[in-house]
Amino acid sequence: MNNYSNMGGFMMNEFPINYMQNMPGQNEIFPQATPALVNDDKQLTKRLSKQAGDNMNFNKCDFNGKTTPNNLYDVYNGFIRGNMFPDLYNQYKLTRPYDVKPMNQQAELLTKVDAYSFAAHDLNLYLDTHPNDQEMIELFKEYVQDKERAIKEYETKFGPLFVDDSMTSPWAWNDLPWPWEN
Amino acid sequence: MWKYEKKLQYPVNIKKRNLNMAKCILTQYGGPAGELAAAWQYLDQRYNMPDDRGKALLTDIGTEELAHVEIISAMVYQLMKGATKEELKESGLDGQYAQFGKDLFPADAFGNPFSMTYIKVAGDYIADIESNMGAEQRARATYEHLMDLTDDPDVLGPLAFLREREIIHYQRFKELRNYYLKMKK
Repeated sequence: MNNYSNMGGFMMNEFPINYMQNMPGQNEIFPQATPALVNDDKQLTKRLSKQAGDNMNFNKCDFNGKTTPNNLYDVYNGFIRGNMFPDLYNQYKLTRPYDVKPMNQQAELLTKVDAYSFAAHDLNLYLDTHPNDQEMIELFKEYVQDKERAIKEYETKFGPLFVDDSMTSPWAWNDLPWPWEN
Repeated sequence: MWKYEKKLQYPVNIKKRNLNMAKCILTQYGGPAGELAAAWQYLDQRYNMPDDRGKALLTDIGTEELAHVEIISAMVYQLMKGATKEELKESGLDGQYAQFGKDLFPADAFGNPFSMTYIKVAGDYIADIESNMGAEQRARATYEHLMDLTDDPDVLGPLAFLREREIIHYQRFKELRNYYLKMKK
């Protein structure tokens, strides 16, 4: 019988896992998230230089670590635009974005799930490139909570959106209209 | 790993069959600037990003592209639903039907099968991220061409949503590239 220590015949120490050595607070059981973000600038710079050749004449653009936009769309207006950031919004052909018009309660509750999920996701991408924007992290947490609430509300009435929430008998996961059926 | 959410990222409810449009939109499934190529490209590149910021961004955008594959697939499916023999022949999708019946098959608007050579990876984070910026711009342009070809609001809604996502993705890739260039010194 194979077990995890002998998978595929690799030596166990072939892929050593480095648990954040030289890190303050490494002895804590649950180290705070911030130390993990400690930007080892020199190491990163070294790693970056190793890859793209130094002699390439790239246009070095300024990177502003804190670029929190002044305002965001509200959840619904961001969702129908596919964009939470007015500064980045750019439209084509349509004079204004189409409203999403739910025709029944099920569609209405699902639109709520869609909109909160979208808001959280768009902030997720923003935070990937702006990991120190505390204000935006707070807003992200808020949207995720709203999303969880919307999912619960939908699922109690219309069945599971996630297989883990399929707790009824007979098996409810199969029943819902599948997303591509209109 | 991935988890399935039994919903689309943006709803698709197309009421009017349009096989010519289905044939054109198919390119955003299996064409050179399509969502399938984008998803696989980003997910293949993420292993070799120089830091966690790049790995996170490529994972998250790659994952979103998979959701876009599903939106495009739903659009093609709904645009073709209930097609008659005559409509299939007229739109040039009779070959598609002969080979694959009513199944989806990733191809471009000319019917050329999806090719893994669309996927641009170079083992160099600048080449990779800039090819992603190019991929997002090409996808945006393709969505604009598709929007030119229809006036059906049921089709324009999802196309406009997907086009806007390309703009956001482009912006995030640009921020990542600029960050690396700044850190590189």
